[in-house]
Amino acid sequence: MKLRSRRLLDRSLTGVSVMAIVLMSLSLLVLLGPIFSRGAAAFLFRATSEFRRFNLEQFNRGDSRRIAAESRAVAEARQPLYGMLAAFTAELEDMDPARRRELRQQFKEVRDLLRELLGPLPGEMDAVMLRQQYGQTRWDRARVTLQRILFSEQWDYSDPSRMGRKVLVPRRQAFAGTQLEPLFPHLQQNLKSMLQPRFTFYWRFLSDRSLDSHFFGGIWPEILGTFYLTLGAMLLAIPFGVIAAIYLSEFAAAGRLVSLLRVCISTLAGVPSIVFGLFGLAFFINTLHLSHSKSVLAGSATLALLILPTIIRAAEEALKSVPHAYKEAALSLGASPLRMVLTVLLPAALPGILTGVIISMGRAAGETAPIIFTAAVSVGRPLKLWETLNQPTPALPWNIYNLATEHQAVDQIRHVQFGMVLTLVLLVLLLNLAAIVIRARISRKMRG
Amino acid sequence: MKTNERNLVMSDAASRLRRLAAFFSKGFLFLVAAASLVAVLLIIVYIARDAIPFFKLRGLKELFAGTAWFPSGNPPEFGALAIFIGSGLVTLGAILVAVPLGIAAAIALSDILPYRLRQAVKPVIEILAALPSVAYGFFALVIFAPLLQNHGGSLLSLAAWLIFLPLGLLIAFAVSEIATRSIRADVAPAARWLLAATLAAVLVRGLAALSAILKNVAVSSGTNAFNVSIILGIMALPTIVSVAEDSLQAAGRELREGSYALGATRAESLFRVIIPAAGSGIIAAVILGVMRAIGETMVVWMASGNAAQVPQPWFNFLSPVRTLTATIAGDMGEADQVLGSERYHVLFALALCLLLISFFANLASEWILRRQARRLGGLK
Amino acid sequence: MIQPTLANIRAAAEPATADYGGRQAHVACDRFSFFYGDNQAVRNVTLDFPSFQVTAIIGPSGCGKSTLLRSINRMNDLIPGGRTGGRLVFDGQDVYGPRLDVVTLRRRIGMVFQKPNPFPKSIFNNVAYGRRLHDGPAKGRLQEIVEASLQRAGLWDEVKDRLDDNALSLSGGQQQRLCIARALAVDPEVLLMDEPTSALDPRATARIEDLIAELRGRYTIIIVTHNMQQAARVSDLTAFLYEGDLIEYGATAQMFTKPRQKRTEDYMTGRFG
Ligand SMILES: Nc1ncnc2c1ncn2[C@@H]1O[C@H](COP(=O)(O)OP(=O)(O)OP(=O)(O)O)[C@@H](O)[C@H]1O
Ligand SMILES: [Mg+2]
Repeated sequence: MKLRSRRLLDRSLTGVSVMAIVLMSLSLLVLLGPIFSRGAAAFLFRATSEFRRFNLEQFNRGDSRRIAAESRAVAEARQPLYGMLAAFTAELEDMDPARRRELRQQFKEVRDLLRELLGPLPGEMDAVMLRQQYGQTRWDRARVTLQRILFSEQWDYSDPSRMGRKVLVPRRQAFAGTQLEPLFPHLQQNLKSMLQPRFTFYWRFLSDRSLDSHFFGGIWPEILGTFYLTLGAMLLAIPFGVIAAIYLSEFAAAGRLVSLLRVCISTLAGVPSIVFGLFGLAFFINTLHLSHSKSVLAGSATLALLILPTIIRAAEEALKSVPHAYKEAALSLGASPLRMVLTVLLPAALPGILTGVIISMGRAAGETAPIIFTAAVSVGRPLKLWETLNQPTPALPWNIYNLATEHQAVDQIRHVQFGMVLTLVLLVLLLNLAAIVIRARISRKMRG
Repeated sequence: MKTNERNLVMSDAASRLRRLAAFFSKGFLFLVAAASLVAVLLIIVYIARDAIPFFKLRGLKELFAGTAWFPSGNPPEFGALAIFIGSGLVTLGAILVAVPLGIAAAIALSDILPYRLRQAVKPVIEILAALPSVAYGFFALVIFAPLLQNHGGSLLSLAAWLIFLPLGLLIAFAVSEIATRSIRADVAPAARWLLAATLAAVLVRGLAALSAILKNVAVSSGTNAFNVSIILGIMALPTIVSVAEDSLQAAGRELREGSYALGATRAESLFRVIIPAAGSGIIAAVILGVMRAIGETMVVWMASGNAAQVPQPWFNFLSPVRTLTATIAGDMGEADQVLGSERYHVLFALALCLLLISFFANLASEWILRRQARRLGGLK
Repeated sequence: MIQPTLANIRAAAEPATADYGGRQAHVACDRFSFFYGDNQAVRNVTLDFPSFQVTAIIGPSGCGKSTLLRSINRMNDLIPGGRTGGRLVFDGQDVYGPRLDVVTLRRRIGMVFQKPNPFPKSIFNNVAYGRRLHDGPAKGRLQEIVEASLQRAGLWDEVKDRLDDNALSLSGGQQQRLCIARALAVDPEVLLMDEPTSALDPRATARIEDLIAELRGRYTIIIVTHNMQQAARVSDLTAFLYEGDLIEYGATAQMFTKPRQKRTEDYMTGRFG
């Protein structure tokens, strides 16, 4: 082949492989970008006066006098609007029946949406559901509702060759000439004073319980549940994992049995996580009866099995990288092998073991499939420590799934879902960062 | 005791005690270490125990050959062929995404990028590996699926340009190079350029036509095999990249230098010496990556559409599918957990299939990696 | 049938190579330096490696012998932070010149490493490897070239019946000769050898030394060695490096009998290093 074409091939290989790296990094960015930007909106957003009223009434939080003053200002700002509603209700009575029928339905829609936006309208009975007692607590959601008030969605099927197209029709048109017509521009112009949006850093999103199935409040039960599950899994897996690693690296003579052990460890690492879930159900719950049904304990035990191979491998790696000279020095001073392990080997290998432990902690925190049948429920309160023995719990990964797919108003609580994902991802990233830092420390110590 | 201090020989009793203690402590360590063996056995036993009643009741044929999956019907039907095909399809898609990308990235990491950049890329891989699968699933469902549904055609045509243009240009150059090899030297360059330009023009025309077709593809639902394949591919990447890179590294500097010293270019050294030497490790990497894709639950459960139907035609990636893992996760909630019924046992039967697949794939990769270590070890 | 010796293959392939006989320096260093980051491993070395002679480079461990040797065919290119100073000339062309083609350079300058490093391929494919790269799949003559190279490396008789066996099944000494054959097969003009016998037993070492003696006069050979006797036995010229500096350079016979520098003598008599 000509030298030129050989070089061309060489360059294209370089190009292709660099492109692969770029694509890989890009996909990470594309993945994390929305999670971070939209997840942050769960914590940092423009909160409306409804949010502050909610916090005062439900959590007893905030300066009650200032909030009362704000409520008065808001009520004042809303007064003209409510006036228009009342005027139109009266006007509706006097209309000819055909037009009345046509408009009544539309008017009901407007009223429903206004209730969603601003909370109960004057003169209405107290609603049962919490979500009906308050308007939009977030300005971004309020804007969405405003759009739905201003425009109604209709489907245009005029072109039979294509699928229907969504068109937005201003509601104002339907009410042209009535007392309600000025409501729409008025609402658009004065919504800010009716809701008083203000930037808020809602860090208590992490520590608040959820109210009315995540319409309000935070994600504390999920965080606590994830914490319990992870902690339990680590407590169960670390002793087994580290002891197994000590055995494999220090005491096991190479032989059939040990290689069988190793095959088992890698097999265990390869078992799909959903199979762990089924096993946990069949063994821990239905056979051992660790608990009557799902519980944190059963979930932790299942997760512990899942991360056992990771811990064994990391710990064995760490133990093996302890210089031989250390061990021999200890043995030559007359320490028994077991003593050597406890006094020399384990302390020296500790940072390495810790790295593995931290990484598997991230894994345990993020796994969903093993806890579906063993520990997770969609709605629950924060558990006390002893309740973990026989009670199921909400957990971040499970509730992300649940809220994103099975919640009755998936679209309205996107911010909560993103906030949960961000929390989980940050948790895992921080754990990994810690592992990276420890690893860097170790390699620096080994070098100098 | 004092007199004994210089005596190296222990008394009988003391020696027996010492040996007994050593034996027991070692035995204890072994027992704990055997936990993973016990766990593997228990998993196999317990999954099989609940799977066998299903096979006893309904036999093998229905599950593996039937396409009607109505476990809650009356009478219930348990034809899981569509589910197996669904698993196969998304795995195939994930392979198509992850294998070329992963191997190219592994090559870049082991041989092409400068050291500094390599260190910068490593965390990217670690993060990709560490992200919880539910986060991937959430992304697939909430961000990728709507994107696909609303702009699917444009996305597909963009992807076609991105993939086929560089590849096609490369092939065009290679073909023109080879075709003009035997032409007289003075006209060869002109002929080569002419040919390359023609081929490139044809390529661009072809791509334009293809992208016009793709643009008009209507994606009826964003939750489909295509979506899941891409996400699973990305999830499998870290495994493939890191295992493949390890085995490329393990081929060693000596081999590389030997090849370079003979005047080989980097591509030649890689393709003729390094990759053949590291080949089995790369295969193992692919197996492990594929296992990650087959065993993944959350992404497919959330974003595959969960329709137990055989895609028409079978390679139609834009149709919703249902996989083994998602079936287990989704149907267990409805199945009668405690009493045990066919609906409960069939899920264990599916899990048993999954377990066996992963078991054998794992053994294969283990065996391959070990053989390679031995072979490369012999080299040194 | 014409006996395919390497010499007549070369004559047929590249008649120009015969011209080097008259030229003095085949490879020449002119105040050449090499840096690993801030560490200057070769310092302003000026010396000529004349054509068709065997030049030995000796010196204590870490003095920069390998670095100098690997600079000649630019094997040091891959080292991050490596850079050069001064000039290094091969066949009248600046090795570190901006437009130099490394592939052709390495093709014309063969290298044999300290540890034998055959590729995990068959014996035949090992020897044919370089040739295939440069010529493309020209099947017919490959057979002849492989045979000629193996013969030149003194390995033919031992392996002629097992050319398809894996090269890793050979002994260490055989592997090293295979590597030499592999290098010879691409028809180099210069052969760089970095301690080629340090991993071998005395008998295999003797075989390689004989081989070098046979190759002398056809190739310009530059050999790094820690073995003084070996340097004395195989080389025409000897260069003594110490901490990156060229201390002394001259005819081997003279260097070993009456070195001009005190340090050279000290090193040769084993007082340091
Ligand atoms: N890759 C490298 N990166 C940084 N420094 C290096 C590298 N290789 C060699 N050096 C340094 O350059 C100096 C010369 O090394 P070189 O390998 O050339 O010595 P040498 O004479 O061949 O030694 P030996 O006889 O032990 O092979 C040494 O100080 C060494 O530490
Ligand atoms: Mg050296």
